[in-house]
Amino acid sequence: MFDNNNIYKPIKARLTDVITESPLIKTFVLAPEHEFSFETGQFIELSVDGIGEAPFTPSSSPLITDMLEVTVMKTGYVTEYMHNLKSDVNMGIRGPYGRGYPVEVFEGKEILILGGGCGLAPIRSLLYKLESMKDKLEKVTLCYGSKTPEDCIYKPLFKRLNNIEKFEAFRTVDKPDEGWTESVGVVTTLLNRVRININKSIAIVCGPPVMMKFGTIRLLEMGFTDNQIYLSMEKNMSCGLGKCGHCMMGEFFVCKDGPVFTYGEIKHNPEIWK
Amino acid sequence: MELTINELKNIRFFESYSDKQLQTILAISSIKHFKVKEILFEQYDELHEVYILLSGCLSMGISIAGEKRIHLGTLEEGELFSWSAVFRPYISTAWVMATCPTRVLAIDSEKLNQTFQNDCEFGFKTMTKIAQTISHRLSDTRFQLMNQLII
Repeated sequence: MFDNNNIYKPIKARLTDVITESPLIKTFVLAPEHEFSFETGQFIELSVDGIGEAPFTPSSSPLITDMLEVTVMKTGYVTEYMHNLKSDVNMGIRGPYGRGYPVEVFEGKEILILGGGCGLAPIRSLLYKLESMKDKLEKVTLCYGSKTPEDCIYKPLFKRLNNIEKFEAFRTVDKPDEGWTESVGVVTTLLNRVRININKSIAIVCGPPVMMKFGTIRLLEMGFTDNQIYLSMEKNMSCGLGKCGHCMMGEFFVCKDGPVFTYGEIKHNPEIWK
Repeated sequence: MELTINELKNIRFFESYSDKQLQTILAISSIKHFKVKEILFEQYDELHEVYILLSGCLSMGISIAGEKRIHLGTLEEGELFSWSAVFRPYISTAWVMATCPTRVLAIDSEKLNQTFQNDCEFGFKTMTKIAQTISHRLSDTRFQLMNQLII
C-alpha cells in the first residue's frame, strides 16, 4: 500500500484508456502516480472526484506496477458515471485491500477456474499470475459463461490461453447468435468436458451469486472438498477497511478477511449466496 | 466401423465399467451417423435407444406451441442423452439435432433393461449414472431459468 498518513486518501491515477468489453462492461486503464502493487484477488477502491468510489478487483497482471486495469460493469450511480468518462482524466485509487488468492498453495496442482459474466475480471488477473508460474503448475482450465456472445468479455484472451502450454479455455453462452460456434448452455455444462485429477486439483469460482452457487454445488458433486474450492465473494464491500460493516458475512468482513475464501470457511453462513 | 472395448473405456460414462460389462454394452449397441441439421429425435417422440455422443456436435432444446424451437444447450462428447428411452412412458422431453457431422453410440433400451435383470450391479451403476445426468440437466435448467429471471 502507498505510504499515506490518511487511510481514506486515494492516490492519483491518470485514466489513459477506456476499452469497451461489452454493452455493460468497460475496462479502465490507469497510470498511478506512484508504483502500485497488489496480489491477485485483492481489490482496490476506485474513485471519481465529486461522484464517489466503489470497490473493484484489478483485472490486470499483478506483476505490472506502473499500470492498472479495472473492469467495471455499469450497475449504479458511480459505475454509470465512470462509463461516460473519456481518457486523460484523473481518478483515485485506495488499496490494495483484503486477502487474495493463495497462489503458493496452487503449486503442483491442476487449477480449474469457473467464471461468469464480469467475474472474469479478477480471474484474468489470476490467469496472468498463473501464466507466470506455469512451470510449477500441472494444468489450468478456464470455463467461462456469459449470457450472449456480445456479453462475453476479453474475447482475445481465450485464443491466447489456448495457445499457452498447460492452459485450456472453454466458453459457453446462454443465448447464441448465428455466428456462435462454441458451447451453448450455462457454465456448469462445460464441466462435462473437463478431465481433471480431483485429488491434485484446486477449483476457483468467480461470478454472479447464482452462478457461484450452482458452480460450487457441481464441483462438490465432482468430488472437490470444501477447502479445495476458492470463492471470490465480491459483494457489498464499501470502505475496504473493515470499518463500515457493509460487507459483514457472519463472523467475516469480506473486505478484510476476503474477498477470497475457501468454501469450507464460509459454507455455514446462510447469506453466502445472497 | 465398430467400436472396441478400449474405445468405450475412454468414454467418461463408462469409466468404472468392467470389461465384461462393456462387452454387454457393445452387444446391444450400434453406431449411428447423423448429418448437419439432421434431427435425431423430436420432443414427444417415443424413444427406443439411449445415446452417447462419440464425436461431433449436437444441439438440444424444446419446442413451444409445437413449432418454435428453443435452443437450450449443446451436448459434450461422452455425454448421455435420450434417457427417456429407459423410463416409462419412453417419451422424449426434448429434441436433439446435429449441427455438424456426428457419430453416436445407440444402446437398445429394451435390451439394456433386460440386462439389468441379469446383472443388478450393472443395472445399479448404469441407473445411478443416468440419474446423475438427469440431475445435472435439472440443475442446469434451474440455473438457466434463474439467469433469465435476474436482470
